[in-house]
Amino acid sequence: MTDRKLFPAQEIGSLAKPRWQILAQRGEPLDARARAELSAADGRLSFAGPLAPVRDALLDGRSREVGPDAVRDLAALYFLRYLEEAGLDRVYDGEARRIEMYEYPIRQMHGFRFLGHVRSFDAKYYLKAAVTDEVRLERPYHVEEFDFVRAHARAEPKLPITGPYTLADWSYNEYYLARQAGWKGRSARRAAQRDFVVDLARRAIRPTLAALIEHGSRVIQIDEPAAGTHPDEADLVVEGFNAATDGLDAEFIMHICFSNYRDLLPTLLEAKRCRQWAWEFANRDSNDHDGYEVLRALRDYGDSREVGLGVLDVHRDTVETPERVAERIGRAAKHLGDPGRIWVNPDCGLRTRSLEVARAKLGAMVEGAALARAAYENPRR
Amino acid sequence: MAAPSLARGMLVRTGLTGPFPRSEALVAATRDLDRGRTTPEAVEAIYAVSEGEVLALEHRLGLDTVTAGYLRPSDLFRPFAETWEGFTVGPLTRWFETNTFYRQPILHAPPVRVPGAFAARLPPPLRAEPTRARAILPGPYTFAGLLDNRSGETEPALIHRLGRLLGEEARELRAAGFSSVQFTEPLLVVRPPEGPRAEAVVAGYREIRSALNGGTSIVWTYGADAGPAYPLLERLPVSVVGVDLADTDPEGIPEGRGGAGLGLGVIDPRTTLAEDPAEVARLVRALYERRRPPEIWLGGGMPLDLLPYEPATRKVEVLAAVREALAAGGRP
Repeated sequence: MTDRKLFPAQEIGSLAKPRWQILAQRGEPLDARARAELSAADGRLSFAGPLAPVRDALLDGRSREVGPDAVRDLAALYFLRYLEEAGLDRVYDGEARRIEMYEYPIRQMHGFRFLGHVRSFDAKYYLKAAVTDEVRLERPYHVEEFDFVRAHARAEPKLPITGPYTLADWSYNEYYLARQAGWKGRSARRAAQRDFVVDLARRAIRPTLAALIEHGSRVIQIDEPAAGTHPDEADLVVEGFNAATDGLDAEFIMHICFSNYRDLLPTLLEAKRCRQWAWEFANRDSNDHDGYEVLRALRDYGDSREVGLGVLDVHRDTVETPERVAERIGRAAKHLGDPGRIWVNPDCGLRTRSLEVARAKLGAMVEGAALARAAYENPRR
Repeated sequence: MAAPSLARGMLVRTGLTGPFPRSEALVAATRDLDRGRTTPEAVEAIYAVSEGEVLALEHRLGLDTVTAGYLRPSDLFRPFAETWEGFTVGPLTRWFETNTFYRQPILHAPPVRVPGAFAARLPPPLRAEPTRARAILPGPYTFAGLLDNRSGETEPALIHRLGRLLGEEARELRAAGFSSVQFTEPLLVVRPPEGPRAEAVVAGYREIRSALNGGTSIVWTYGADAGPAYPLLERLPVSVVGVDLADTDPEGIPEGRGGAGLGLGVIDPRTTLAEDPAEVARLVRALYERRRPPEIWLGGGMPLDLLPYEPATRKVEVLAAVREALAAGGRP
């Protein structure tokens, strides 16, 4: 398919924000721990470079003088170097400027009202909004963020953006559901959801993607973690994806996690401009359960797209060994029938893990990919 | 339990059927605890306040059963997966068609119940008010179907065994004064059992009925149209069978006389749009006329913790308004 090396590595989403970023963005002076972390990180990665004056001001206790935008720039630079130093071939900025993947895009649109927090699991929550009016984009988003990454990344940038189906599924549908007559049962909800997804795709996501491409973004990951929530709405995921990417030229990836992928197939394969499936597998993989077996379904359907292979469980601190990663890659390659289509990545964003644990996991991933590569390139060793 | 409302010939009971959302204060506190910014003692104090607030809401609205919100458990199974022998807690797994997740229990050997462990995890205010409390447990079929069974036991055998063990929990709750025990069973309608599995479900609920010794047993379903599951639902030896009207085609609820009480999930936490109490009352009365159950139990369909705190509060108020509309004469 390409002349890329076997099993290149990519990031997949957000990382935990370092303490120095959190304090400095609030305008608070760094405490001793945050100063030590910033100094140690810069000592190891030499990331500050053109932003050395910002780093120095933070270390001098002048957070307020620096301002939050410069802090975010410094953090974005930190994450670029953090991921590059880990050996990744595709990187982004750890989503250093984003609050999370739902609230930020929604705040760039007209038609929503935030209502409060909803629990996702354990003590993890997200702020949830209702759509109360027709969706309209206020302004394309992630563009300045991407400009910064493009200007500073040494590895290939891959931009993540939340997809229309997920934004719709994670919102309460008031406006479009109210337009449905009668009892708001399953069929009314589905019709309203389709209207909502298509409006989001056409009116908000597509213009944003077009602006990003105009600014040079070539690899764009459309995150649809909600895709598996309602398997009978896989056609809406596809319709949203196709409407959002209609007429656009870029390398599009669809990221889905914590879903039963078989339930989405073969409908999902109708996503026309999707070049890579980036899915979570490691969370469900154990010694007595093959989490990668579902890849056989792609082969059975004759799908020849790339696969972004989740090889790191992002919900556990246990660091996978390189050997475990390599074994997973080898097993996945057998299921898929083509090692040349595999990229490796964490299951999802590593933001729920500490930066130390995340770095150790990423290191194991890159090392494991190298082991797997060596095994394929020198099969007799 | 309080005497049910009599709404134009119908005996109507109301109550929450699952966890209530955590308040914004509790969200902040549990987040802080997760990040090491506060102490368990400080969070415990906020839990106590929050449980009191939910209980006060249930009392103010005159709900017939109360829950104090079930704010503490991380998911329906955790109180058992963390305390019964034979289990470990496994990977994050999606909870039906929602953006919420549970940790899948992994069963390594036939489960062994630990007496008192579940009761100790009930909201403390409920233990002080057991006759009006609704204890909420997983149903044996949903429990068996959603765990990762590595015990070597067949699924029908496991369903029956879990029915017996959950029955022992019910017996313990009954001895502590609880009169209503709900078994949450979305899987019964999402993936209706057939053959030996279906027989095991019925056998499991026989164990539960026997253990409850005259207490009210409630099976509460949601997540799919209950119509196809009705042949089995009507065989369950329980006091009430609840179905979610957000997913169930009302026309698919069969006619009938007597049998179990009819539970109806009439508020839908998947939307913040408030239901029209008059419209809901008309639907409830029509279903009552068709089925003539001994009692109607009204509640949420899916758990209300799919909503933020304030919208959930407004939705519960709809529940009380529906009861009032029924009393005033909702017509089919």
